[in-house]
Amino acid sequence: MALYEGIALIQEKQAVVLDLGTDYTKFGFTGEAAPRCIVRSEFWSAAERRVRRLHDYATPDELYDNLVHMLHLLYFRHVLVNPKERKVVVVESLLTPTLFRETLAKVLFTHYEVSGVIWADSPRLCALTLGTPAALVINIGAKEAEVAAVVHSCVVLQALVAQPLGAHAVHAELARLLDEDNGATLDLPDDVIEDIKVKTCFVSPLERALQWGSESPPRAARSVRYSCGARGSVTVTGRARELAAEPLFARDHELASLPDAVLQSLARCPRDARRALAANVVLAGGGAALPGLRARLAAELRRLRAQPPYAERLHVDEFRFHEPPGHGNALAWLGGAVLGASDAGAARALAREQYAREPRLRDWVCLLDNTPPHHPHRAYLDI
Amino acid sequence: MAYLTQPDYVKYICSCGQLKPITSLYFCRHCLKIRCGFCICHEVDSHYCANCLENMPSSEARLKKNRCSSCFDCPSCFHTLSTRATTQQRQVLQDPAAGGDTKVESKQPKKMYYLSCFNCRWTSRDVGIPDQPVASGGWPERTNPHAARVNQLIDYYKAIAQQEKQEKIERERKKFNIRGKYITLTDKTGLTGAMARNIAGLPSSESSSSAIANFVPSVATAEVDELPEDIFTKEVNLNQITSMPQRLASPDWQPVSVSRLHPLAKLLSVKRSQRCRACDHNLTKPEYNPGSIKFKIELLAYYHVPEVKIISHEPVKPGEKTALFLKLTNPTGHEMQLRLLQPEDIPPPEEKEEPKSIDKSLERSLVLEKDTTAFKAIERQPNISATSRVTSPGVTLTLAQRDDAAEYDDDAQHDTNDIILWRKSNKLGVRLELDTSAEAVGGSPARALVALQYSYRNTVPPAPSAAACRDHTLYTTLLLDLGTVSSN
Ligand SMILES: [Zn+2]
Ligand SMILES: [Zn+2]
Ligand SMILES: [Zn+2]
Ligand SMILES: [Zn+2]
Repeated sequence: MALYEGIALIQEKQAVVLDLGTDYTKFGFTGEAAPRCIVRSEFWSAAERRVRRLHDYATPDELYDNLVHMLHLLYFRHVLVNPKERKVVVVESLLTPTLFRETLAKVLFTHYEVSGVIWADSPRLCALTLGTPAALVINIGAKEAEVAAVVHSCVVLQALVAQPLGAHAVHAELARLLDEDNGATLDLPDDVIEDIKVKTCFVSPLERALQWGSESPPRAARSVRYSCGARGSVTVTGRARELAAEPLFARDHELASLPDAVLQSLARCPRDARRALAANVVLAGGGAALPGLRARLAAELRRLRAQPPYAERLHVDEFRFHEPPGHGNALAWLGGAVLGASDAGAARALAREQYAREPRLRDWVCLLDNTPPHHPHRAYLDI
Repeated sequence: MAYLTQPDYVKYICSCGQLKPITSLYFCRHCLKIRCGFCICHEVDSHYCANCLENMPSSEARLKKNRCSSCFDCPSCFHTLSTRATTQQRQVLQDPAAGGDTKVESKQPKKMYYLSCFNCRWTSRDVGIPDQPVASGGWPERTNPHAARVNQLIDYYKAIAQQEKQEKIERERKKFNIRGKYITLTDKTGLTGAMARNIAGLPSSESSSSAIANFVPSVATAEVDELPEDIFTKEVNLNQITSMPQRLASPDWQPVSVSRLHPLAKLLSVKRSQRCRACDHNLTKPEYNPGSIKFKIELLAYYHVPEVKIISHEPVKPGEKTALFLKLTNPTGHEMQLRLLQPEDIPPPEEKEEPKSIDKSLERSLVLEKDTTAFKAIERQPNISATSRVTSPGVTLTLAQRDDAAEYDDDAQHDTNDIILWRKSNKLGVRLELDTSAEAVGGSPARALVALQYSYRNTVPPAPSAAACRDHTLYTTLLLDLGTVSSN
């Protein structure tokens, strides 16, 4: 009983937490406050003599190879531990493609012989870092912004809203604005665009954003000369600095902006949870680090709440924001580190023996996994 | 042959199906098979600092988070920082009570140290880190600003898990009591749950409930940080803002401003040993000394498998026979018999195990630590599409053993014939014919497949139980890159 479990816990190797993002991979140990490394999700391919991105693959075999190379790099260059007989907490999005999950499981269990894998979705992990019963998690990743409501450690699945409004949308808009302002097709590489964004861009407050759309635009912020080495230098105008993040807030007839996504997610939540959720908003993901983004989002939410179609449906009076105990880009990772350190996580691990017996992963979209135990259909599912 | 800057013209097919040049292949002397970095098991052997070449035991490395305590990297350009010394006139104010009536002011030159980057001129003084009186170590260590909160969270969730488990046990016991009214095991032994937890060194349930009671969830606020007012008017100084790599180099802090950069303790490196997955024997094992680049065990294919190099070849034309000149080398200390074959002539590897049902083999793999299923899962069909094949000359070539002294003999022996161009100690130049299929499209890459059959003498002392079989006939398949198919 408790006695034996105590001994087992001492002997167990410290588990690692893995978050393979589109642009950046976060990797480190459970129980620590920050990942050991945050590196680009890419590796040097000796056979092709070029840097390969982890998420660029055409076939399952290619993905398998990518994962093998990436994990080798992470284990032996950054974290410096043996993967063998060590548990892994995998931080994943609820929308991770099945092929990716299954290939990752295969690589971890057969290639690296890890002893167990705990699969955890990022909204729940972000909520875990707050300790509140309800949380509305807005995760702005590289490609997508995902809004998920977490109530008592359960994701409200019907309220999951995702829009392609990640860091890449900001990068594309910034590249377009730079081309426009410099009067040339600059074709800057991604890392330069990212660097310009990180160093110069901010999200303008709501009043100014509205002014930009009107007849009399406000006085732009100072422009910056950005030198790109051999390419010469680029002028980053105040307009480009301020408007690069506007695609996140651009409303069209489909109401596909970031604040709309948040309000739609709230509207799909159970009525009695909405107020609690709106009072516990947390922003996560590397894309949320832009200065001014939180303030702008708060202002937009407060403005749109009172407008149709949300005014008569939502009945949410206040939005409150959390200051999570970690950087946004590693917040889901931190949740994984907390989960893995408490016994609750270890109990949920998929053990290697179990995987060898039945190589199948639990998935929230699968009826086998989401039918409650006493549901009348359950009997047909248990074979 | 493998080149540093050019593509690999000759690739061997590893036993797992990967195509690799001979320099990145291993040879397991126990399985007598070629292995590669993809199908072997890598293990951390020892930790060391690549800068000061100091070994660090694994337990200490874990404690120090895999960072060297005396070497630092520049947080700005990631170059290694150097320690610079300055002499500082330090005024020592002696305590009047101890030193007598008069205040004695003594000037004492003292050496103080700071860190400086020779590459970008960053110094630890730039960010206000005080100089240190000792040359190595002593630099202020920082802890993550959220560490305390994260520990609270962990304690909280641990307590919750503990409580849930306790409740579950309680429920089970109640069920048990109602059913049979037996005394439970803990009651019988006089060991209560609390005592058992105490013995196991776990926090008692009281403290776990206090961890839950004392936990304060994160508090959300309605106010959010607005942009600083001056952002619309202030000049941006790009040199004062950190880049993404600079931020991510210290994941705990991710400083935005250059003035918050701190020296990065150097990340250790590891020496890896490599193991055959099929038999668990070591393929490479490095020497412990970090300064040494030698290996205790080094089973590289380069020392065991005949090496093939392309000397030259005629342009490959569709539907035609062209000449191909190869150089074959015997790297072993024993005479080698070598035949060139067609890939399909390789006899299938004899299965030592009788075929079993999948369930049985799986069960076996669960019982035994060493299972071959893992290796089987990694294997895949090699991706080879060849336009040409090398016609097998049908003769057995004999290659002399490697003789380092013979390297100095200049004249090649000329016992030449149709196939053998020249012979020089353990090397052989051969002339072969290349048969290209008529379907080959001009301009497409020309590749030729050839299989080798070679004799191999195993020098591993045989296990007492195993039959002492020293001479083996082994096979390997190669893919030759012959440029492109010429179009005319
Ligand atoms: Zn291999
Ligand atoms: Zn060092
Ligand atoms: Zn530097
Ligand atoms: Zn072996």
